[in-house]
Amino acid sequence: MITIDRFSYHSGLRYVNTGEKFAFSVITLVLCVGSRSVYLAVFVLLAMGILTIKKGKIPLGGYLRLLSVPVAFLGMNSLVLGTSIRQTPLEVFSVRFGTWYLTAGRETICYGIQIFVTAMAAVSCLYFLSCNTTMTDIFVLLRRWKCPVLIVELMLLIYRFIFVLLDRGQAVAAAQKSRLGNRDYRTGIHSFGQLISCLFISSVKRSEALFDAMESRCYDGEIRVLEEEYPPKRKEIFGILAFELWACFLIWIGR
Amino acid sequence: MTKKQKTLITAAIVFAGTFGTVSKAYAMHIMEGALPVGYCLAWGAFSFPFLMAGFFSIKKTVRENRRALTLLAMSGAFVFVISSLKIPSVSGSCSHMTGTGLGAILFGPAAVSILGLIVLLFQSILLAHGGLTTLGANVFSMAIAGPFLTFFLFRIFEKVKWNRKLSVFLAAFFGDLFTYCVTALQLAMAHNSATTFEIALKENLIIFAGTQIPLAIVEGILTVVVIIGLENYARPELKAAGFLKEDR
Repeated sequence: MITIDRFSYHSGLRYVNTGEKFAFSVITLVLCVGSRSVYLAVFVLLAMGILTIKKGKIPLGGYLRLLSVPVAFLGMNSLVLGTSIRQTPLEVFSVRFGTWYLTAGRETICYGIQIFVTAMAAVSCLYFLSCNTTMTDIFVLLRRWKCPVLIVELMLLIYRFIFVLLDRGQAVAAAQKSRLGNRDYRTGIHSFGQLISCLFISSVKRSEALFDAMESRCYDGEIRVLEEEYPPKRKEIFGILAFELWACFLIWIGR
Repeated sequence: MTKKQKTLITAAIVFAGTFGTVSKAYAMHIMEGALPVGYCLAWGAFSFPFLMAGFFSIKKTVRENRRALTLLAMSGAFVFVISSLKIPSVSGSCSHMTGTGLGAILFGPAAVSILGLIVLLFQSILLAHGGLTTLGANVFSMAIAGPFLTFFLFRIFEKVKWNRKLSVFLAAFFGDLFTYCVTALQLAMAHNSATTFEIALKENLIIFAGTQIPLAIVEGILTVVVIIGLENYARPELKAAGFLKEDR
């Protein structure tokens, strides 16, 4: 997680208007998922990759490693979708279990591939957003969209605490590891339980301390931070419109 | 450790060993793009009332006790972090807890539904586990269905005064399993063009059962170990979290 967060702070597109980036990735995402067009998916996968690496200046190796995360899971998912269990075998292959066959036909395989490609394209849209936008910018956007203050506040605090607790958890895990806390499975389970209990105690203590600190600085139910304005540029808006129109054209071709 | 735990752990090891690989618990997230738009909207609409209830419950708690806000935020982060820590697994591959079961036992299901929404949003943006379009479906299976079942089972077992450890284990185990059943149902409803719905459901259940049942057992055991640890070391802190338990 920290990788994506670090990328977003170093991104070349960080100071582009958040609303633009959000609209671009979400509209493309919805077009991809809604149309399930293989042409569009391949195009989006390439375009998002190029934009993220060239414009966003995200290292290629890091980006590929990020993309490989969903591949394993999506592969398994597509395997389920690409095969079917029937009483009659299909043309490509079949394995027999009693009276049932685990089998695949040309149609089911195409379906599996279609889902795989669209899902990968959707993930690349998501990565475009998360690699180039910092979380704090997204909070500002949410606040502007009149998302309930309580929710935005909770998100802000949770985001902050994740790093505090993750740090703590990693420190404890390292300490346990260096003291042979994982030498066999049983000790491993025991250590993990202790790790979680320790995290729980420290998180409650920290939350108390934090509230005291906020209270003493006149906290009244809302954390106000200064926002930087990055106004949208006409060139960028035209670029996004052209991209989405081209995407619609590709969907129309694929039909 | 008690004798019961020892037997449970041995049973889990045998179980996990027979099934071989324990893959990632994140397999429970439905990936971005895996559901058609109609289903995404439908599941989102389906989760909405629960989220509203959660929101109002949190709002009430915070109004009554302002301190609750930071504690809630911490528990959200806590759920996120425990679901991202590697748990010890037999085969050496890494796997993770869902954490929402433990959260439901500690903080109550209404609070967990909102925390789960936020945690899942962070997981999709920061870790790319799950996604924006599938958020509704994931929230329903992981932040609503599982935690509610865990919580109600735990309450029922508490009422009939069962062995506490066993009841925590069973509640977490069934909650985990239920989450995964709901996910299988969601996938089967969306992808059954080649076969019928029942066959697609069966297929999903069979293919994921091998990895999810051992994981659910491990999660159950871990939840028990954590609860024991908390009862030993963190009584005052448990009471601090306990105020969330009263208002439901």
